[in-house]
Amino acid sequence: MELIDRYLQAVEFWLPKQQKHDIVAELSGDIYAQVEEQEIALGRKPTQAEVEAILRRRGSPVLVANRYLPQEHLIGPVLFPIYRFVLKVVALCYLLPWILVSTGLVLSGHASASILGSWWTAAFVAAGTVTLVFAILERVQARSHFLENWNPRRLPPLRDVNRRRLSSSYLELAANLTAVLWWSTKMYSPITLDYMDLHIRLAPVWTWFFWGFLLTTLLNTALSAANVMHPFWTPRKATFRLLIDCTGAVLFCWLVKANIVTAFSVTGVSSQRAAEIANAINLHLAQIFPGAVAFVIIIALCDAYRIVQLKTPQPRLTGVTDAYTN
Amino acid sequence: MNTELFENLRLELRRGCLVLAVLAALRQEQYGYTLRKILVERGMAIDESTLYPLLRRLETQGLLSSQWREQDKRNKRFYIVTAEGEQILERLLTEWNSMDLSLRAVLKEQDHGTNRSLSTSR
Repeated sequence: MELIDRYLQAVEFWLPKQQKHDIVAELSGDIYAQVEEQEIALGRKPTQAEVEAILRRRGSPVLVANRYLPQEHLIGPVLFPIYRFVLKVVALCYLLPWILVSTGLVLSGHASASILGSWWTAAFVAAGTVTLVFAILERVQARSHFLENWNPRRLPPLRDVNRRRLSSSYLELAANLTAVLWWSTKMYSPITLDYMDLHIRLAPVWTWFFWGFLLTTLLNTALSAANVMHPFWTPRKATFRLLIDCTGAVLFCWLVKANIVTAFSVTGVSSQRAAEIANAINLHLAQIFPGAVAFVIIIALCDAYRIVQLKTPQPRLTGVTDAYTN
Repeated sequence: MNTELFENLRLELRRGCLVLAVLAALRQEQYGYTLRKILVERGMAIDESTLYPLLRRLETQGLLSSQWREQDKRNKRFYIVTAEGEQILERLLTEWNSMDLSLRAVLKEQDHGTNRSLSTSR
């Protein structure tokens, strides 16, 4: 029967070399036995359609062969949750910033739209690298079972989502104090900035920016000090942070569009060339406006999300522990 | 009722029992085709694409041995349980009986609980 032989040939293709002959011989015997049984039952030779039905019931050649092969997978069920988590982290911390930066560069005219095509390359390289690393880990795990060697004492402490790390509060306080000192001493509403041979004259509107940025930095310092004393986020503190960030962001967006540089001079540069440089600085500042707006929106959304999180009751993981300890 | 889910759970439940059934049936030498017929007749239906790889796996694990022989003018591969396979079968049957008893005890307990709650609610 040609059809049966074709079926056996198709199954054979997927089988491991050493077992091919043996498996196909047994399979062949079984199929012919089934056909003979049907022949006895019908009292005639089965038709082509009836043989087809027998083969169809056995399943497609690749599936039949697959049953004889060892179960294999690139990344197994043990590592898969970790693999998925890492992919998400890569997407969020690497690919998303990549998209935002490249989109910002294209919108501001600093790069051509062809740069967006590089996103696919970045995505494939990132996903491919992560997959390759996990495929290797899967092989290592299969041999060493390293995930089974764990110690409950090494589990991370219970996480309080509202708690701030004291070190980050101190760091933030130090950074804000430095910014206040630098801003109030070096940028004290100077209409003219002088750095050796470089002289920059700013527009009078700078006074507003000076006081505005000083105010937001002082408010941030106060918030950092409060966080050092009480290292927990509260809805009030989070709202305060949102307002400060929004104020600073609006000031920054205004600054980049304000044609802040009115005059520019450097020793050895003609006044015409200096005027061109001043214009170029203002133009470049104006071009980063879309990027600045996108950044502002992201910051505001993060701050707003924090407030929502704080107002949403969190399920308590420690309920069972309390029952045991009380 | 979710038929697909039920079918998956049923297959999962049957998987271990099939090994027991195959080992038990192969206390007497059989070749694949007759073995499958015996199992079907005794209510343990198993398709060819499951049976033959299972036989091969059990042979690789040393629980079965096989040999090719001619019968009715056709070469057939005959399987029989090995001494090690017999020992494993005995242990598995003990385990299966113990699980059966435990499950029955759990079910009985639940039946009593249901009856109690029904009589209380009346």
